Amino acid sequence: MVDGISILRSPLILGNKSASQVTDDVCAPLDRGPGMTWWFALAVSLSMFTLGVIAVTYQLATGIGTWGLNSTVGWAFDITNFVFWIGIGHAGTLISAILFLFRQRWRTSVNRSAEAMTIFAVICAGLFPIIHMGRPWLAFWVIPYPNFRGPLWINFRSPLVWDMFAIGTYFTISLVFWYVGLIPDLATLRDRAVSKVKKTLFGFFSFGWDGSTRTWQRYETVYLLLAGLATPLVVSVHTIVSWDFATSVIPGWHSTIFPPYFVAGAVFSGFAMVLTLMIIARAVLHFEEYITLHHIESMSKIIIATGGIVAMAYMTELFVSFYSGNEYERFAFINRMLGPYAWAYWIMVGCNVVTPQFLWFRKIRRNVALVFILSIFINVGMWFERFVIITISLTRDYLPASWDNYAPTLIELATLVGSFGLFFTLFLIFARFLPMIAIGEVKAVLSYGRKESHGKAREEEGRKVGEYEGLHGGTS
Amino acid sequence: MKQGNVITVLLLVGLALTALTLIQAVSQSYALPGNNIGYEPVQLIAYPHRLHAGELGIDCKFCHTGAETSRTAGVPSANVCMDCHRFVTAPFNQVRAEDEAATKENRKPRRIVSPELQKLYSALGLDSTLQRSATAEETRIVWMKVHSLPDFAYFDHRAHVNASVDCQTCHGEVQTMERVRQVSDLTMGWCVNCHRSSNARGVKGKPVKASTDCVTCHY
Amino acid sequence: MNGHHTHDTMEHDNETSRLDRRDFLKLAGFTFAGVALTGCEQARVEKAIPYLIKPEEITPGKASWYASTCAGCNAGCGILVKNRDGRPIKIEGNPDHPISRGGLCAIGQAQVLGLYDSQRLQGPQINGATSDWPTLDRTIHARLREVRAGNKSVRFLSGTMTSPTTLALLKRFLSSFKDGKHVVYDPISRSAILEAHARTHGIRALPHYRFDRAEVIVGLEADFLGTWISPVEFTAAYGSGRTLEGNPPKCSYHVQIESRLSLTGGRSDKRYAISPSERVPLLEALLALLEGKSQSAKLPHFSFLNDLAGRLNSARGTSLVVCGSNDVASQILTNAINELLGNYGKTLDMQSPSYQHQSNDNALQTLLTEIRGGKVGALFVHGVNPVYDLPKGREIGELLSRLPLVVSFAERVDETAQHAGFVCPEPHPLSSWRDTEAVAGVVSMTQPALAPLENTRSLMESLSEWLGNRASAHELMQQEWRKSVFPRQSAEKDLAAFWNRSVHDGFAAVAPRPHRTEKYDSRPVQNVASPETGADSFELVLYPKVSMGDGRHAHNAWLQEVPDPITKITWDNYAILSEAAAKKLGVLSGDIVRLSFTDPTAASGIELELPTWIQPGQKDSVVAVALGYGRKGTDRFANIGPRWFEGKPSVGPGGLVGVNAAPALQFLNGQLLYERGGVRIERTGRHQTLACTQTYHSIDTPPLLAQGSESRRPYVQYATLAAYAEDRAAGGGPKHESRSMWPEQHEYKGAHWGMMVDLNACTGCAACVVSCQAENNIPVVGKDEVHRNRELHWIRIDRYFVENDGELDVAHQPMMCQHCANAPCETVCPVLATVHSEEGLNQQVYNRCVGTRYCANNCPYKIRRFNWFDYLHEDAKQNMVLNPDVTVRSRGVMEKCSLCVQRIQEQKIEAKKNGKKVADGAIKTACQQSCPAQAIVFGDMNDADSFVSKRIADARRFNLLADLETRPSVGYMTMVRNRTNKSDETPHG
Repeated sequence: MVDGISILRSPLILGNKSASQVTDDVCAPLDRGPGMTWWFALAVSLSMFTLGVIAVTYQLATGIGTWGLNSTVGWAFDITNFVFWIGIGHAGTLISAILFLFRQRWRTSVNRSAEAMTIFAVICAGLFPIIHMGRPWLAFWVIPYPNFRGPLWINFRSPLVWDMFAIGTYFTISLVFWYVGLIPDLATLRDRAVSKVKKTLFGFFSFGWDGSTRTWQRYETVYLLLAGLATPLVVSVHTIVSWDFATSVIPGWHSTIFPPYFVAGAVFSGFAMVLTLMIIARAVLHFEEYITLHHIESMSKIIIATGGIVAMAYMTELFVSFYSGNEYERFAFINRMLGPYAWAYWIMVGCNVVTPQFLWFRKIRRNVALVFILSIFINVGMWFERFVIITISLTRDYLPASWDNYAPTLIELATLVGSFGLFFTLFLIFARFLPMIAIGEVKAVLSYGRKESHGKAREEEGRKVGEYEGLHGGTS
Repeated sequence: MKQGNVITVLLLVGLALTALTLIQAVSQSYALPGNNIGYEPVQLIAYPHRLHAGELGIDCKFCHTGAETSRTAGVPSANVCMDCHRFVTAPFNQVRAEDEAATKENRKPRRIVSPELQKLYSALGLDSTLQRSATAEETRIVWMKVHSLPDFAYFDHRAHVNASVDCQTCHGEVQTMERVRQVSDLTMGWCVNCHRSSNARGVKGKPVKASTDCVTCHY
Repeated sequence: MNGHHTHDTMEHDNETSRLDRRDFLKLAGFTFAGVALTGCEQARVEKAIPYLIKPEEITPGKASWYASTCAGCNAGCGILVKNRDGRPIKIEGNPDHPISRGGLCAIGQAQVLGLYDSQRLQGPQINGATSDWPTLDRTIHARLREVRAGNKSVRFLSGTMTSPTTLALLKRFLSSFKDGKHVVYDPISRSAILEAHARTHGIRALPHYRFDRAEVIVGLEADFLGTWISPVEFTAAYGSGRTLEGNPPKCSYHVQIESRLSLTGGRSDKRYAISPSERVPLLEALLALLEGKSQSAKLPHFSFLNDLAGRLNSARGTSLVVCGSNDVASQILTNAINELLGNYGKTLDMQSPSYQHQSNDNALQTLLTEIRGGKVGALFVHGVNPVYDLPKGREIGELLSRLPLVVSFAERVDETAQHAGFVCPEPHPLSSWRDTEAVAGVVSMTQPALAPLENTRSLMESLSEWLGNRASAHELMQQEWRKSVFPRQSAEKDLAAFWNRSVHDGFAAVAPRPHRTEKYDSRPVQNVASPETGADSFELVLYPKVSMGDGRHAHNAWLQEVPDPITKITWDNYAILSEAAAKKLGVLSGDIVRLSFTDPTAASGIELELPTWIQPGQKDSVVAVALGYGRKGTDRFANIGPRWFEGKPSVGPGGLVGVNAAPALQFLNGQLLYERGGVRIERTGRHQTLACTQTYHSIDTPPLLAQGSESRRPYVQYATLAAYAEDRAAGGGPKHESRSMWPEQHEYKGAHWGMMVDLNACTGCAACVVSCQAENNIPVVGKDEVHRNRELHWIRIDRYFVENDGELDVAHQPMMCQHCANAPCETVCPVLATVHSEEGLNQQVYNRCVGTRYCANNCPYKIRRFNWFDYLHEDAKQNMVLNPDVTVRSRGVMEKCSLCVQRIQEQKIEAKKNGKKVADGAIKTACQQSCPAQAIVFGDMNDADSFVSKRIADARRFNLLADLETRPSVGYMTMVRNRTNKSDETPHG
């Protein structure tokens, strides 16, 4: 496992951890039980969530009219939030799948929470296509099922149908992938558990895991396969989401560069969100030695890269619109920059193009506080990107007589808040009951980049322990 | 879980689904929601279609006059009933029995009025001599609608009757029914399939153009 | 969907059934599995209740039509009333009627809703308490005896009355008193025209204007296509003079001179804005020019008159000058001009004059003084509402309540009726017998299409009762027709046959009563007194709105929600100011301003508070306010439309819809004047939302966002007559030839339905909008929803202000679903709720729709309408107006124009039954049918001989957004204006 160690490599995990320490550290929060901070955070996010629930209930009871939409602008907050959340999800899959295939070992300390984030984000995203329907109680009609209407199938040409499939698949695969990754650690928890209930629960969910080599072998294979399955999804899901707009005839929607543009944007926003969460987590749960500055730096680098692509996409859009010679296309983009919603456009540019540039500087990358602030900006900016694309394009399309503006109602704002509430609630519960860091995988990289100076013997021992424990999912 | 078990479970589930579908297709008693096969409401007046359409062989359109000219076949108004029942007030055998009794007791035979027809007469405010009585006022005759489509589906009798589709095709052998019962499930699939097959085979050998556009029924 | 489509010969409570169904759908959705397991689930029980004795002529489920006459205003257009199972559900124009020629305006279309108005009085009232006719008659007889005994006089105050029978009865009734007089006035008075003719032609009559014969038309403050005298008739006539057929293309020359931008001015060939005070000098100058005198130098800015005079001179006998002002001086001058041009007997018919307006403002004033003087013993009020219509209404009200006997015939307790001791409600015109001679020689018939829903009695019957020999309206009419109508014709020898034919046709063409006109007298022209002009202050102009008229239909929700053809505002009246004036006052649209002025006759100054509306084409020194708003009873609209926590009421601050501007009227030189100088305007600092259906008004995109050729969107093709005469395709952009990568998706084997809209004919009168609303069960959404741009009208009229070589043109573009062959909406719907039919219709299946709104987003024409809420149908009586052939849509589903597919189906099935193919013109969509200008044509595009195919072949044809390759089935035709320069054509980007 730990071949090719050199003094040039700085360790991924600091503090000279021994395998058992890792287990203890990671499980510490779970053993420690919920602290004040946790309860406070939960209270806040739960009340946000409740607010959302109230808003949605009222909307379902009264009608979509309780949103600020109109005959001209049929989508705004609802689909903006949907695309935003789907985008957030992407970082998780990218970290866990693609980085795994690329043997990026540093991923081990963030992939667990990143994947969790993915699942929660997709849950939030999935709500919007349903509640945005005029008759959500008939949402199941978009699923092809045998019926007595002739039979009447669904419109396979409709991007919304593709969406339904794409997101469905994405959610399932992510969930399975995440769960499979959890199994060894669940075993660890089972073994550490004192209370009867916990023991049986973890025992059940860990599928009676015995750390035998055979199990490990199977596990590694499954994990690899799932990683392979998940990888194309990183690209496909947001590509398909982007087709919701790309296949339409509305200037500002109808654009061929959307797929790569959206995927890049998704990863961009996803990593921003991972950073936001991780930086909080490492501070609150004292994971500084696991989620090191090195991690933050690497993620910042990815943000620079994807941010660059996004900026490029913005410019391409403008260039195409001017070069196309299509008056409507051109108008749509000038209208974005100078029209009634210019402020939204410039917030987007400011947050998504300017902000990442700071990360070129090592000093800033290694300054946790700054990175945190920047990540927040990027989250905001990416929300506005979706708002700009979806809403502004609709407000002024072809016939000037049907142009109209849009403003959200309280219900819509509450719904947005509610979705964040749901997201954080789920994440907090996850942080409380499951190991936020993949114990097994971290152990495998414990000795990675450890200094020779510690003395041969110790290093040897360390490696043995590392391998042993790494393989056997820690039975301390 | 062994591999074998998984397959067994899958097979069972599949089987169940198939069964569900098949039963629905054939059965009269079991149905999915919205399907009213076998709906047979009790009517205010126990009007026997078996007697009128069956034994007496009265044509459906004699009473349901709208069938050829209008989208609705229509429930006949009481004056249509009175065309016959001004004279026929009770089953034949009862009348004859009374006549015999009368001749035996050599008196004028009393008018026998069957209880069901009495409802008709009182609805029209007629007295025992079937004259319009000043005191009694008219009352509505309320029938239970047996074949009822949702309000967003428009069925037009004209189009079907004039394409020489038999009433029985949709309403079943009404002439054999004492009380009318719904025999077709009247689901969209049922309509559409008939339209398709009619386009393919025609009605009574006559080629027809039965549109399957949505706006044929939904507008 | 909800169960509003009431089954034929079948009753079930709409409300409950609707709920049941929706609940079921919810259930089926949320707990689908559960329901599936429970198996057989019983739908709601429906009852079928047949007639006991079925009337011969009624076949349940089949519509029957009755010819009748519209009573929406005085114009007397012919209508056909559509009955389903005994319920009138739709009114259409009568194509054979000599006045309206098949068209019908928005007000006429909305009458059917008024029939089911739950506010109408249920029976007669005595001192505000519901009573019965015998008691009422007894008391009135007693009171009349007193009046006869005493020496007080009896006055019958009414609006213009064109019914021969009623007039005859009224004559007899009034002559039964020592001093009985009939006083006529109209809230929108044309008295001055009659007055002027009395002076110049010795006959107090309103000429029958013949726009169809006029080649040069000058409209002076006369909105003759919108609101003036007989708009439907005039629109048809005007259109027939501008068909662009033949070579050189037939097109009259129309100059409009007015202080506010009217519907008529918007489509004129040349338009000039003047203030009312300039009107008389202008007319004098024009007259002088026509008389050959040189133009007086004191009117430099009237230089255009030279050209105009030239035009008129070259069109002697075929020109027409009309003036809409109620100022006698102006009318006298107008008569002089028309006389000089020899138009009398040609474009102005005095032999068979119009009776559509008979108001006599002098008599009205006399009556008011009589009432003040306590001379009047009994006052009957019919068809007018003086307390609301006239200045100092409150005072009039107080006077009325002091009169010994006041009898009102109002249909509801209106402003006047609440001061009347007796209210004798009349049945709705759709459920009563009447006759109407709106234009001499055309006697129209009104027959009941429904038995009166309330305990009412027509005026004729009341009069006959009070005359002592009670008879039904039907008998009274037949008696009168025997006397005065039958003898005036020779076609039918037998009275009964004549009567039956008249009832069948809806009118009888007879010889006009002889009218003796004296030779023209020019003396009145000499002593014309021109009115004083307001100095730096504003001049106020009061006008009727196209949809609201004098406000007698203010209780009709359909009409309240009709967007004004020019401002596009619903549910309000407002103070119209020009851009410059607004800047000067520092107000924006919606800011409430206070209009104040002093009236010599009034004790204190008068004030009006109204929201501002900034309007191009408005004279800077003029502020215009619509009459007909602020009616008592419009508070009913407070809660119309959806109710939710952000929803706002449809009424203004006063709790009523709009503000009554009548207090600003004034009597001047014997006439009720609709203008006054010396009006001060100041800001109040308050603001009021105006529900306008458009947020952007120009065809040119904002200058900042698009420059040069791209600034104008090529949606309204325009050409000058000169250019068109040379090239029939003038104004058309580069023709887009359709290219497609894909094989043809749809092969329209049978019919292929299509529609053409002639932008040159369309006046934007909104008749189609209401007609569509009535036909397709389109709910009213209320002011707040309209403000949120959620009105549900399936046909919306896009109104663009277009600057064509210095002229402000108003282009009206009716926008309905374009039924594209490559419909963007069809590809995106996930559940196949909107799909293409084999006949080219874009089908919208409500019951399949789940409401993703993707189709609406992807519609480049933005014609799709979404049910944002459940629009309430609480008023069971009002629900009787619903068309049983069209589903009432539930919340959360998309809807849009279906090209009246229910009518297509009906005709197809009928044709099939008779083994024929559908004849061209057999199917008329609701919008097409009601269009007074016949701008809309519908038909089969596969039939080369169909009218619509011919229109498509026309060089003026163009499609909207053709370059998007949507290939719409709805097309438009270039708008042509009679102008000489050939340069301009619609720029194309």
